[in-house]
Amino acid sequence: MMPEQINGNEPLLRVSGLNVHFGIGAAAVRAIADVGFTVRKGERVGIVGESGCGKTVTGLALMGLLPRHTTHVTGQMLMDGRNLLELGPRAMQRVRGRQIAMIFQEPMNALDPVFTIGEQISETLRAHFRIGRAEARDRAVAALEAVGIPLPARRYSEYPHQLSGGMRQRAMIAIALACEPRLLIADEPTTALDVTIQAQIIDLLLELSSRTETALLFITHDLGVVASACTRLLTMYAGEIVEDADVDAALVAPRHPYTSGLLRSLPRLTPRKSRLPSIAGQVPSPAEMPEGCRFAPRCAHRGPLCANPVPLIDLGDRRVRCARHAELTLPGCAERRLA
Amino acid sequence: MSGEALVSVSGLTVHFPVRGSRETVKAVDGVDFTVAAGTTFGVIGESGSGKSTLGRALVCLQYPTAGRILHAGRDPFSLPGAALRRHRRDYQIIFQDPGAALNPRMTILDSVREPLDIARAGSARERAQQARAMLDRVGIGGMMHDRFPHELSGGQKQRVNIARALTVRPRLIVCDEVVAALDVSIQADILNLFADLQQDFGLTYVFITHDLAVVTHVSDMIAVMYLGRFVEIGPAETIHGNPTHPYTMALLSAEPEPLPRAMRSDRRIMLRGEIPSPIAPPSGCRFRTRCPYAEPICAAAEPPWRETTPGRFAACHFAGTGTHATLSEHEILAS
Repeated sequence: MMPEQINGNEPLLRVSGLNVHFGIGAAAVRAIADVGFTVRKGERVGIVGESGCGKTVTGLALMGLLPRHTTHVTGQMLMDGRNLLELGPRAMQRVRGRQIAMIFQEPMNALDPVFTIGEQISETLRAHFRIGRAEARDRAVAALEAVGIPLPARRYSEYPHQLSGGMRQRAMIAIALACEPRLLIADEPTTALDVTIQAQIIDLLLELSSRTETALLFITHDLGVVASACTRLLTMYAGEIVEDADVDAALVAPRHPYTSGLLRSLPRLTPRKSRLPSIAGQVPSPAEMPEGCRFAPRCAHRGPLCANPVPLIDLGDRRVRCARHAELTLPGCAERRLA
Repeated sequence: MSGEALVSVSGLTVHFPVRGSRETVKAVDGVDFTVAAGTTFGVIGESGSGKSTLGRALVCLQYPTAGRILHAGRDPFSLPGAALRRHRRDYQIIFQDPGAALNPRMTILDSVREPLDIARAGSARERAQQARAMLDRVGIGGMMHDRFPHELSGGQKQRVNIARALTVRPRLIVCDEVVAALDVSIQADILNLFADLQQDFGLTYVFITHDLAVVTHVSDMIAVMYLGRFVEIGPAETIHGNPTHPYTMALLSAEPEPLPRAMRSDRRIMLRGEIPSPIAPPSGCRFRTRCPYAEPICAAAEPPWRETTPGRFAACHFAGTGTHATLSEHEILAS
């Protein structure tokens, strides 16, 4: 099934020129604009940005889950030398679950309430492998055990409503990882969970990812989660990538004012009771995008250059979409409160 | 800053019946604290800890099963109906979901004016004027006053909810996860607004949240809640800087820090399992089933309150005895 043209340096996934339009004809708006990035085998990439910046749409586009009739997706998503966007529905079905899997914020909505947890894992396994019921059951129980669900054989025949939120998210991860995909897209997987459970789930994802060399694409609004779970940070704003850098480097010295702004508005980085530096205004809707730099209307550093569209500039160790990146020194997390 | 106690709570208990059973859900199970006027009292806990039930009881939306709540020395639950309704204007609550709290068929101006209409405060014209002034104060400009909730963003809707709670000039506002549904930059705006309004109107807040960073930022005092009880209570800076209850330590260490690897503390206390059922809480110390330091005494006896540093109390048999610190060092060595 896999073409033999994979060479050692080729990343697992190479996305380039990805555009997503919602709506048809003259009413269409561009929700994702010229997004490009790579994910290497076993790499853990975090995508951050406010709601409405296109993080989830990017994830759904990779999964081929955007409705075909009302969205228009163009560009390239290369995996094993194949452009996933050119695959037909049947071929894409074989990729989904087997090569790329996705988990969501609210596991209750993603799980089917009328099937047991175990049946939902077996179903996925039998869709991708030629195996019998008994073997699917054994592998499903093993998958439940691998995600740390106690008494996996008993949980196999329980329904989603019988599980707690944290256990449901573990079950969701078990379904996603049962077929050993090479890329797992996790869309706000811990946002609905308590911090102590969140810590357990992040640890689980990290452990599974390092054991199976599964790459992770972590979609989140929480820079703390990205710091502890990811090695690379992609900041998205208004449908574009505005910064792509090593996580630690971006946290200490962000080069885009939006990354810096997101970081600085976190309460834990400012002294108690002091004013929080917020980012004024809100994300523009796709229908009323600014002509030049999309962040300029909210940016404290905007200058005359910002009236023109800004490309994603390659600086070698990172990419940044800011016309003034060379002259700005932006505050990062180093200016945090002294505990 | 700290004046007399605006709220004082003793032995507060709220139990809910379980359908088809004699058992009860012990949502709040014996809580004592006072909130000084003009200060912010933070309550932090996981879901199922009873923090929202506590908040509802504080503003008389929930009758206590036992115990007492005093508002500025008065017991609101002893007031007759009409007097209780009048009294409630002084004690308001704002909820997490800014959309669900607004009537989708009313303009935001009408929503903000409604509490004044119910209070029959002044003429209709004056009430509309007051509502407009309050919307302006929270940063919702005149051009938006006649819009409907669906035309506003989440942050704007939460501003409307704040304006609506403020129109009747309350003394206390219970903020139940008010920024949990908002993006970080909007969250920062709303937290700044709360700070300004506290200055301007001399407000007292009870800030209920699961977010440690938020509660530490806004609070003067913090109480950590677990399974219906407080386990640690004290000034915000001591709780955050130097927790003495193992549950507080675990919460703090679970918080993902937005810092590079080299700057993060590697002390992690990973809690096993999940919060037990509030129908049958564990005997003795309620945290013992998840506590990495539990000893036989924790199952046998309820831990007494210990003053671990001046003004800060922890309900743990070993708090302040150095046991936890030693164990943590062992863990670091082991990991």
